Amino acid sequence: MTPLTHLIAQSIWRLPETLSKDQRYLYASLIVLGAFVLVLGLIPVLQTLPPRGRRAVIVTVTFLAGLFFAAEFFLPVDWRSIFPKDDPTRNFLTPAIQPAQNVLQIIGALALGLGTYGLVRLHLRNVVQKRTQWGYSVVLLVAFVTMATFSIWNTLAEKELVKKTPFVERGFSILFDFTLVQLDAAMFSLIAFYIFSAAYRAFRIRSVEASILMFTAMVVMIGVVPLGAYISYTLLGLPQGPAPADADLWTRILHSAGLPTIANWVLTTLNAPVQRAIEFGVGIGGLAMAIRLWLSLERGVT
Amino acid sequence: MQPQTIWQRMLSIDRRLLYLLLFVNIVAFLVAPIRMTASISPPVQKFYDEIEKLKPGDLVMISSNWSASTLAENQPQLEAVLNHLMRKGVRFTFISIEAQSRDISYRLAERVTSAAGYKYGEQWAHFGFVPNLTVAIKGMVNDLPSTIKQDVRGTPIEKLPVLHGVKSLRDYQMVIDVTPSNTVPVWISYSPKELRILYCPTSVMAAEAYTYLDSGQIKGMITGAKGAQEYEQLLGIRGLGAPFANAISFSHVLIIIFILLGNFAMLMQRRYERREV
Amino acid sequence: MTYQHAQDNWFAAFVIGFIALAVLINILRARVGAQLYIRRIPGLDAIDEAIGRSTELGRPVTMIPGLTSFGVVAVQALTIFKYITQQIARFATPMRLLTGDPTVFAVAQEAIYDAYNEAGRPDLYDADNIRFLSDRQFAFASGVAGLIQRERVAASFMFGEFFAESLIFAETGNMVGAIQIAGTTSFTQVPFFVAACDYTIIGDEFYATSAYLSREPVLLGSLVGQDIAKLFFALTAVGGAIIASIAGTDAPIIKLLGQPGGWDAFFGGGK
Repeated sequence: MTPLTHLIAQSIWRLPETLSKDQRYLYASLIVLGAFVLVLGLIPVLQTLPPRGRRAVIVTVTFLAGLFFAAEFFLPVDWRSIFPKDDPTRNFLTPAIQPAQNVLQIIGALALGLGTYGLVRLHLRNVVQKRTQWGYSVVLLVAFVTMATFSIWNTLAEKELVKKTPFVERGFSILFDFTLVQLDAAMFSLIAFYIFSAAYRAFRIRSVEASILMFTAMVVMIGVVPLGAYISYTLLGLPQGPAPADADLWTRILHSAGLPTIANWVLTTLNAPVQRAIEFGVGIGGLAMAIRLWLSLERGVT
Repeated sequence: MQPQTIWQRMLSIDRRLLYLLLFVNIVAFLVAPIRMTASISPPVQKFYDEIEKLKPGDLVMISSNWSASTLAENQPQLEAVLNHLMRKGVRFTFISIEAQSRDISYRLAERVTSAAGYKYGEQWAHFGFVPNLTVAIKGMVNDLPSTIKQDVRGTPIEKLPVLHGVKSLRDYQMVIDVTPSNTVPVWISYSPKELRILYCPTSVMAAEAYTYLDSGQIKGMITGAKGAQEYEQLLGIRGLGAPFANAISFSHVLIIIFILLGNFAMLMQRRYERREV
Repeated sequence: MTYQHAQDNWFAAFVIGFIALAVLINILRARVGAQLYIRRIPGLDAIDEAIGRSTELGRPVTMIPGLTSFGVVAVQALTIFKYITQQIARFATPMRLLTGDPTVFAVAQEAIYDAYNEAGRPDLYDADNIRFLSDRQFAFASGVAGLIQRERVAASFMFGEFFAESLIFAETGNMVGAIQIAGTTSFTQVPFFVAACDYTIIGDEFYATSAYLSREPVLLGSLVGQDIAKLFFALTAVGGAIIASIAGTDAPIIKLLGQPGGWDAFFGGGK
């Protein structure tokens, strides 16, 4: 007997393996074209619907899409009692997860085009109308066009669709490796400076709670770095490094008083449970929101 | 206008002065020949012990998702871990979630492995990048070759000797996630239960991982550059971790000094105001 | 066995079902008129104060969902931004919504348009005020920081999922003297927001925001359901700790709660 999931996967979610490469390309192109025509045809139909009808369509599509993912998760995977040769690690919806995710990525890519169009349109207008600080818009547009040109050219060259010239290679390297990557690193390193000024301003002993927070932060900051260990063990008269396995009770007590041990205790015994509690709350909140969206009970932006 | 007291001036210090001091401090201690012995933290020790348990020929997946911005923390971690893996003679494959991380991890791995005589394709490989980690993990659990298809050099996965007989992520023994992003919960949620997960986050992300360490969902963790220094110490090698951790140590000290100075100035100003009243 | 399906751990599936039921029953209760209470959240009371200050100064308000990709967090963030837009529409205060995710950008345009419409000021809507800057983390961060500096914003609202760029936004806002309110589900970014912002909304307070602002029965009921679920989690944790202390961590009941295939010990599954 043909396994159930294999049968469905082959006949519904994938083109049959028996087809030749050309046939597969042909069928795939027809499917893409068909989907395109279907979507284009649906747009005018949806526009003729009254608002209530449109809402009904949205509610139905949202519910069905959510139902697909929920059913894939909740349906049992092991069907071997009925189909002994079946794959016990997936149900018949599992093979459709990948195509569904691909659809989501395609929607994301379309939105990226929309976003980029909006950005370019805004800055072109800034330049054409010479709005305030339009010079920045020129910089953005020049950077955008240059990076896009070299990036696309380089990708085509890598795929051997166009000839790879030293000019493209060098140009892309200057823009990507020596500009973008370095700018990324510079922006990230700004955080170190900002945390310094923010900490200087914020850590003040204005109340009992603020004082506890400040002293705990200082203990952890110094306790987690080698200098904290060095200072602690020197002051406690201990050799550097962790307590030896055969250390006596007094040495163990002294080690427990060291900053690294205290910092680790704060991180694992105080920080972790608090965080777990917050994460439970966030997880439950997210799940509740997802249920409201799925059942179209959420009126915010839908 | 009443002239400002010295305490008021201290409280409203020009932030550019703070930035300059921090910059000088970082540069000075990055190049200073000071080497302090690190105290090995329990998560790093656990990480080391887990890799020690691997046998030659075992297969490890390295999920490398960092790029230039977090190089200072993730590069020393990855270099130290690769050194340990090669010392144990295990096979490893890389996977990334975006192009820049793919390029950086591939170049770094090429450099480190060729120095140790590790052969690409036979002992290690790079799968390139996948746009959606969740989908990729689910796909690799079901059927690894058809999910990945080809490696970063365009070679079909089936033709790589390092993956001989590998059908699924279940054939791996371990995952090591080197990342500044929140990718480790995805590995925990979707990878096979038997797969041991080790984690190399940036310092800021480490706080979030202690819950997973407690529950055993992560078997060990190297926290940022200072964790890398501890790991280098365990391996007995000299890498980038030590100077980076040095700069971090003394930056923490500088910040603490200024927090104390700020509080001192605030208290003195209050006292001054009370006396004025 | 993997954690990919409900069958891998039926207990997890049961918990999801329980939370869903608790939420739905309480939504129903709220709909039929049950009076539900929600505590004060100071950060949200300050939204009107921040808008008032922007109006007085005639400087823009920024709304930043960060790099949040489209999902429940983004929808919640946009719901909050829609409320803020409805408030600022009354005073014609300028606004900028800056996002790093193109799908969020597309939805934000619709949401903000709706907000102006519902406030009776569709003339104030300008598509250029909702901007997609870049999906690269630090290109986006520099874009936001530059805009905050150049336009010297008077109020900055940051709601959503944030990563390392959070402090760049918050500290830049602080430099220009903006009132800043942040709300995030990203635990690691909370300390940065607390240090640099005027008000910070932590954890599931983020999801309570729309209920707090709108007082809609559906949202309030959902919130009560969430609290019941949290109580259940707390009881499970305490109960689990007691049982594990007495019977050990290998006890079948502990495995049932904490491991895939934990039911096998009870139902004789042999995988």
